[in-house]
Amino acid sequence: MSAATTSAEPRTLAAPAGLLSDVTAITARSIRGILREPELFIFALVIPVFFFIVQVGALGDVAQRAFGISSYAAFQLPISVLFAAASTSGGNALVLDITNGYWDKLSVTPVRRSALVVGTLFGEMFAVLGYSVVLIVFGWIIGVRFAGNEIVGALGLLGLTLLFGIGFAAVSIAVALATGSIRATQSTFIIFFPLLFLTPSAIQRDLMSPWFEKAVSLNPITYVVEASRSFLFGLNGPAIAKGVIAATLFCALTFTLTALAFRRRVRMG
Amino acid sequence: MPVSVGCASLDRMSTAIQAIDLVRDFGQVKAVRGVSLQVEEGEIYGFLGPNGAGKSTIVRILTTLLHPTSGSGSVLGHDVVAERTTVRRLIGVALQEAGLDPKQTGRELLTLQGRLYGLRGQVLPAQVAEVTELVGLADAVDRRIQTYSGGMKRRIDLASALLHRPRVLFLDEPTTGLDPLSRALVWDRIRELRGRYATTVFLTTQYLEEADELADRVAIIDHGRIVRQGTPAALKAEVGADVIDVAVDERETGAARVAIEEIQASGELPPGELRGTESGYTLFVPDGPQNLAVLIRGLDRAGVRFGAVSVSRPTLDDVFLAATGGRMAAAAERAAEEEEDRTPEPAGRGAQ
Repeated sequence: MSAATTSAEPRTLAAPAGLLSDVTAITARSIRGILREPELFIFALVIPVFFFIVQVGALGDVAQRAFGISSYAAFQLPISVLFAAASTSGGNALVLDITNGYWDKLSVTPVRRSALVVGTLFGEMFAVLGYSVVLIVFGWIIGVRFAGNEIVGALGLLGLTLLFGIGFAAVSIAVALATGSIRATQSTFIIFFPLLFLTPSAIQRDLMSPWFEKAVSLNPITYVVEASRSFLFGLNGPAIAKGVIAATLFCALTFTLTALAFRRRVRMG
Repeated sequence: MPVSVGCASLDRMSTAIQAIDLVRDFGQVKAVRGVSLQVEEGEIYGFLGPNGAGKSTIVRILTTLLHPTSGSGSVLGHDVVAERTTVRRLIGVALQEAGLDPKQTGRELLTLQGRLYGLRGQVLPAQVAEVTELVGLADAVDRRIQTYSGGMKRRIDLASALLHRPRVLFLDEPTTGLDPLSRALVWDRIRELRGRYATTVFLTTQYLEEADELADRVAIIDHGRIVRQGTPAALKAEVGADVIDVAVDERETGAARVAIEEIQASGELPPGELRGTESGYTLFVPDGPQNLAVLIRGLDRAGVRFGAVSVSRPTLDDVFLAATGGRMAAAAERAAEEEEDRTPEPAGRGAQ
């Protein structure tokens, strides 16, 4: 640093802000953005609710008689909640920032680059929380009840859904960072289908064809679904533990992808 | 070079921006080919060149957004690669495309920006009030940015670049696409800033008038190289002559050149550089008005059909012409064509 530099530097008002301050500021901005597009929020809820109604309406009675499922609405609720959680738009918000130049605008400030991603992820957690609460209340209104303590059950389902939701949001954020392409980022929604429907989404695993059951067993989200259901059909410690581990591993994988994509984007020339 | 800047006298200036032999390649494309420059504190430094000349790439390197392929850059003595966080605190940047979040209000955008610069307490709202007043957006600051006009977006972008009172301000084509009124307002604000805070301004532009009006010194860039550098007056003086432009029909260009050279050879016209342009010829001669008449008579005598003829004092475009052999507008067209021929780069902004 030159002597001339030191003598004049105090004229700028800029000062180190700190990681927490950076993350808080970016999170607040993400949440503001989510709240300002209520139509996206509603859209993210309409499809899961539609699927829920169709599934329960078509298979509710059969499931009770043939599969011994006491409440098919309770059986389907976690699927709808996870479905909605996968509708987060963190990657979309980020890729818009990248394409319209706002990412650059933020990048020339002294903000820690990681705060731009972490703040966006926290914003997505807020959205996931919002979707989940609305759907759980919807389920409660139509008579779905949690096993044991209702609050504990609801919090358990919320916790798992949050873990799955930010893991899923991280995928679209990774694609946004890696490609800077709106189309590619929006396409990440496609991975949602195998992830969520290659699971015991319609019936229990023991009723599936053997080959399909094998494929379903390899999908970590299967264990998230089963753990989520255990909050509704009877708390099952090992199932919940498996679900938490599976969701954590899923997050570890997607966060690693995000970190790699992030490094690629911030790596200088 | 001492520059008087309103209340702030900068007799003892130090270097605000330095670039040494900057090179930046994008695959096979050489965007910047060895640029060296030095900007003193308190200066307004104009970086003039057509689209595609490399201006924005240099700005992105000096503002820490892009790594140079080779060479080095520093701001107030801090290396733009090794000390980028320090550099980011010292600079304010308004990039060519005003990247804004349309869902936020102007105040929210500025407040977020201020927080990221570490502004706290009463300083932050006070600064937001000051900069919105400065750019004339005090009445619109609580509206969402999606409702702003193009000019207002440019101004809120400028305000966000000024929020933390940067010592060095990078403005990448700040008035491109603006109407004349908004352009004049931005010019006034830039002058005011320099006067009030002795802010160093690095301004890229493709507008000759803008560089002429605002800049203490100008660098003219073409094809990734600085081709001339100096004060606008000195650069124009380098041309050393008045400029006579003659529009000639395409079919007459050969005959016109022969005729002009013959007039020069006969001694009727003093020796001076003759350049072909898109519309005809440009002749650099002293005592333009008098020699204009000589030229017209000579062309008439030779039977060359010509169109509009004009004489003017040299402009920066003439400096560009003298340095590169082409007008800026033509260089911009050429750059656009080259851009079309290139393999598309990956989406997004690349390295940051």
